[in-house]
Amino acid sequence: MVDYLWNAQSPLQKELVAGRHGVTAGQAGVTLTEIRGIMLVQVMARRGKAVETAKAAKKLFGVEPPSTPKAVIGKIATLIWSGPDQFLAFAARSADSQFGKLAEVFAGIASLSDQSDGRCLSQISGPRAREALAKFSSLDLDDTMFPPGATATSSVDHTPVNIWRDANGADGEAVFNLLVFTSFADSLWKTIVASALEYGLEASSAHAE
Amino acid sequence: MRIACPFCGERESGEFTYLGDASPKRPNFAVDSVAGPEPAEDAFYDYVYLRDNVAGVMREYWYHGGGCRSWLIAERNTVTHEFGSVTAAPGAGATKLAQAGE
Ligand SMILES: [Zn+2]
Repeated sequence: MVDYLWNAQSPLQKELVAGRHGVTAGQAGVTLTEIRGIMLVQVMARRGKAVETAKAAKKLFGVEPPSTPKAVIGKIATLIWSGPDQFLAFAARSADSQFGKLAEVFAGIASLSDQSDGRCLSQISGPRAREALAKFSSLDLDDTMFPPGATATSSVDHTPVNIWRDANGADGEAVFNLLVFTSFADSLWKTIVASALEYGLEASSAHAE
Repeated sequence: MRIACPFCGERESGEFTYLGDASPKRPNFAVDSVAGPEPAEDAFYDYVYLRDNVAGVMREYWYHGGGCRSWLIAERNTVTHEFGSVTAAPGAGATKLAQAGE
């Protein structure tokens, strides 16, 4: 009998080349970071159970799940709106994760789908991040339309993406998160890199915090 | 061209798919008390094949597949392509469907 060894690996393990790319003079205009080690669960209220789902979420996360395209920070997870009566629960993978409670809390009222290994998370920031993003996203990412906490489910090259904005980085720049199906991660990464070369790109990976 | 999804806000039309006229109602045997197979067949023929060719404002089904994956009903002027109201179709999200369907 053959023994198979399954190793968790990043879908970007070939494509991600850490370091400086494109224009090398001056500060990098765009920073692109793959965020590894994530916990991600899709929560969808069952028919007629939206109110019960919101209540259960409030109990577990300490916050109401967003009813409009926003991301809200709860006790054990960030809740990211992903459509009417549905959201993504997101947290860093850790040994003392509380995500085991989700199945119990939402039993019978919401459908859950573990996407922790199904999606790849990239974080884009830097003074020229919006210019790079504008080449492949049709969203208006201006401060007035897409402030910190704003979320969108959208498409990039016909590929579904969840985008949300974190609090600004230490450098004061906007931070955008992009979630994409792992099988499209390579392709999206290449698109982002190509879009950012002219501004100077700093690529890396980090464990979720 | 931009379409204002009631859930997502304004998005480019490429994120949406067009289905067609939202006016025809699917015949429902129980609700419409269709007497026998022949009237039912006629009602279904009308529902499946017969459409008005509207020049002006029309209620249409659109699907936000490149966004929140919701079915929507939009008012669109077929002459000017101007959009009026865009609302969630019955059953969007976790809402209950009306018994008679839409
Ligand atoms: Zn939408």
